[in-house]
Amino acid sequence: MQQGTGASETEVTWEDQQNINKFGRLNNRFHELEDEIKFAKEAIDNLEDASNELILTDEEVVRFQIGEVFAHVPKEEVETRIEEMKEVSSNNLEKLEEEKESVVAQMAELKKVLYGKFKDSINLEED
Amino acid sequence: MVSAFKLIAPVPRLSLSYHSDSNEHYRSFEAHTVRISGVIFLPLIFTLSIEKKNIQNMAAAASSSSTASPKTTTERRGIHGAQFVEDVEIYLSQTGLDVNSALAFLQERLQQYKLVEMKLLAQQRDLQPKIPDIEKCLDVVATLQAKKGTGEALITDFEVSEGIYSRARIEDNDSVCLWLGANVMLEYSCEEATSLLNKNLENAKASLEVLITDLQFLRDQVTITQVTIARVYNWDVHQRRIRQTSTSSTAKDS
Repeated sequence: MQQGTGASETEVTWEDQQNINKFGRLNNRFHELEDEIKFAKEAIDNLEDASNELILTDEEVVRFQIGEVFAHVPKEEVETRIEEMKEVSSNNLEKLEEEKESVVAQMAELKKVLYGKFKDSINLEED
Repeated sequence: MVSAFKLIAPVPRLSLSYHSDSNEHYRSFEAHTVRISGVIFLPLIFTLSIEKKNIQNMAAAASSSSTASPKTTTERRGIHGAQFVEDVEIYLSQTGLDVNSALAFLQERLQQYKLVEMKLLAQQRDLQPKIPDIEKCLDVVATLQAKKGTGEALITDFEVSEGIYSRARIEDNDSVCLWLGANVMLEYSCEEATSLLNKNLENAKASLEVLITDLQFLRDQVTITQVTIARVYNWDVHQRRIRQTSTSSTAKDS
């Protein structure tokens, strides 16, 4: 049976509830960001591989996927396009990493506040 | 030769798929533990003396405030707002429910929230791949427009069936056909096609935004309800313990 920790001030105010809600939201966003970062990294890897393959190939015309079809595109244009896509992807990845860091910082802040108030009565760790 | 591209209109469809994202389970031994999407919220133990003082303060505050429910977030698009409970005892006396029926009511609310969450998640799952699809279509139309200027034909390989591709030669043309769904395909000029696709992209992104905000609101309500359940349950456990100690002490005295 769980013994109460003596005279612990454990009233939950609206502010506390909002903090808890915010922590939940941040936690969700954190997991979503991790997934998105994973996808972005995969995309960048694929583009890297593609540009490496491009260097190795000696064909003049490359089948470049646009939408659902593969268009015959001259090699230089494909190179340019892949460079652009790599730019976009790495910018995206940077943005995601930044957001993830800010989310982690906010969560650490909230953890301090909530642990300070509730001590043992709350657990904010991952499973 | 007219080129045809598939455009999927972003119509959110309702499909109930029981795919539970949040791992939630209640372990009901003495302590009531609540999981908030990866966060475990252990029971809050109140002490009677502090509670009494708070009750007096709350009673004074409650009588001064006109509304019966101090912190309610209003309904949002059919989702009930969970009423935040300032004090468990006052909440129970206000609603006039005993502990078990209060718990049952809150549990039921939680189930309703879960259902709505699943609906919204399914909608989101349907909507999410549509956005890259529309972007791909936009890409193709843009490529066609670019080629229009050069005057040379575009040679593409397209999929006839799984693993089988065929070569197509697309001459200079001004129009594209867009698949609007429901076996309907319309021919558009390139500019019109671009504007239509852009409009659809905007709509899809906007509905996704709304969906995400709804989900966030819903998750907040779920959290509030879970916290309330934990508090009501623990208040009850606490009361029982008090009663037990008082009866055992009176038994000892007599």
